[in-house]
Amino acid sequence: MNGDRVSDEDDRRRFADVVMPHLGDAYALAHWLTGDAADADDVVQEASLRAFRAIGAYGGRNARAWTLTIVRNTALSWLTKQRRRTVVPVEDLEAVERAQALPGRNGVQASPATPETELIAKADAARLEAAIAELPLPFRETLVLRDLQGLDYREIAEVTEVPVGTVMSRLARARRRLIDTIGRGE
Amino acid sequence: MTTNDNTAPDDRLLLHALVDGELDPASALGLERRISTDPALAAERSRAEALRRVLRDKVTPRPLPAHVRLRVERTIGLRRARARPSWAALAASIAVALMVGSATTYLAFAPARGDRTAEAVADGHLRALIATQPFDIASSDRHTVKPWFNGRIPQAPRVVDLTQADFPLVGGRIDVIGGETVPTLVYRRRQHLISVSAMADGKAAPPQIARRAVRGYNLVGWRDGGTAYWAVSDLGAGELESFVQAFRGAPAE
Repeated sequence: MNGDRVSDEDDRRRFADVVMPHLGDAYALAHWLTGDAADADDVVQEASLRAFRAIGAYGGRNARAWTLTIVRNTALSWLTKQRRRTVVPVEDLEAVERAQALPGRNGVQASPATPETELIAKADAARLEAAIAELPLPFRETLVLRDLQGLDYREIAEVTEVPVGTVMSRLARARRRLIDTIGRGE
Repeated sequence: MTTNDNTAPDDRLLLHALVDGELDPASALGLERRISTDPALAAERSRAEALRRVLRDKVTPRPLPAHVRLRVERTIGLRRARARPSWAALAASIAVALMVGSATTYLAFAPARGDRTAEAVADGHLRALIATQPFDIASSDRHTVKPWFNGRIPQAPRVVDLTQADFPLVGGRIDVIGGETVPTLVYRRRQHLISVSAMADGKAAPPQIARRAVRGYNLVGWRDGGTAYWAVSDLGAGELESFVQAFRGAPAE
């Protein structure tokens, strides 16, 4: 309402060009991060407003990564505010992992691949989605961006604001956890 | 089989980058070599690949509900809607079309001449996405899609099967680009559509290979024989690039 009309129109046009094509991805990411359709709706609204206010700063490079970065940050502050989920700092997670995982659990106990591979291939949607939902946030967002949304490592690094090497290790560990969960049978 | 403590922990990380095609050729070669002599590593790769496939094929997409889009459009003021009756959702999609349409007209005259075709291709894709169906013929069978073009346009395009590469064919349509009717094929990856338009190799042809970003969509243009192609999608540039490689590399029918 305050700013001059012309620039408001320009901003709307830019928003329609930059953000609107990726609203579907934005919603899916918000849904995976919050775990809830209504929350995803609210996160997308808030992220859209943030994106609109910041649209002048969009550098014209990767519209999707730019949009998803804002959605991701909005979702994280949303989660913190709602306290729906405890957001565990990654450093703690990584310490726990190092303690429990590395030597034995990370690999197979000298068993051939086939049965586990078959179990993985047979996993159904409900089981997979439950396993994804259980992943700690830093792993979940990395996995979702890569395996469900098809971003490359560099884009994920941009969206989650970590180095590419961290993307690689988080992704490996997210997948390792999923393999552990769904490859176990039950 | 010996214990996998022999496997360097780094290799287990690198393995996933290998599966994702993110390793540089030299590292990939080295890792492939180690996989071939380390059964534990080979097993881990087959599990990683199985996981990737199952995530892609089985996880339910989270499509954008119409009311979420509508709410964003209202919040940002993309449409001047007050309270609307229940047909609002339908009206909204028309409103977006008009909105985007006017942005399009504005932009179409701004860039350099050579980009006009890219702009027009992006428009075609956008129009198709807004329409009830993004194609005029819906079929995953290229032997259905190709004949459909015959009789509608002078020359049916080359239709290839990219299911193996994870880009199933979903249909085809006819676009009008620069006043010419042009066959467009529609492929899919996850919930993203890719439109590929094939046009006679005229002045509008891209150089050997051209990459553009138009209004948030990525485009890749290239020429093959006497035909110029443009592929457009909201997919990331990397994935669109791999689509183009698959398309160009696919054997002719």
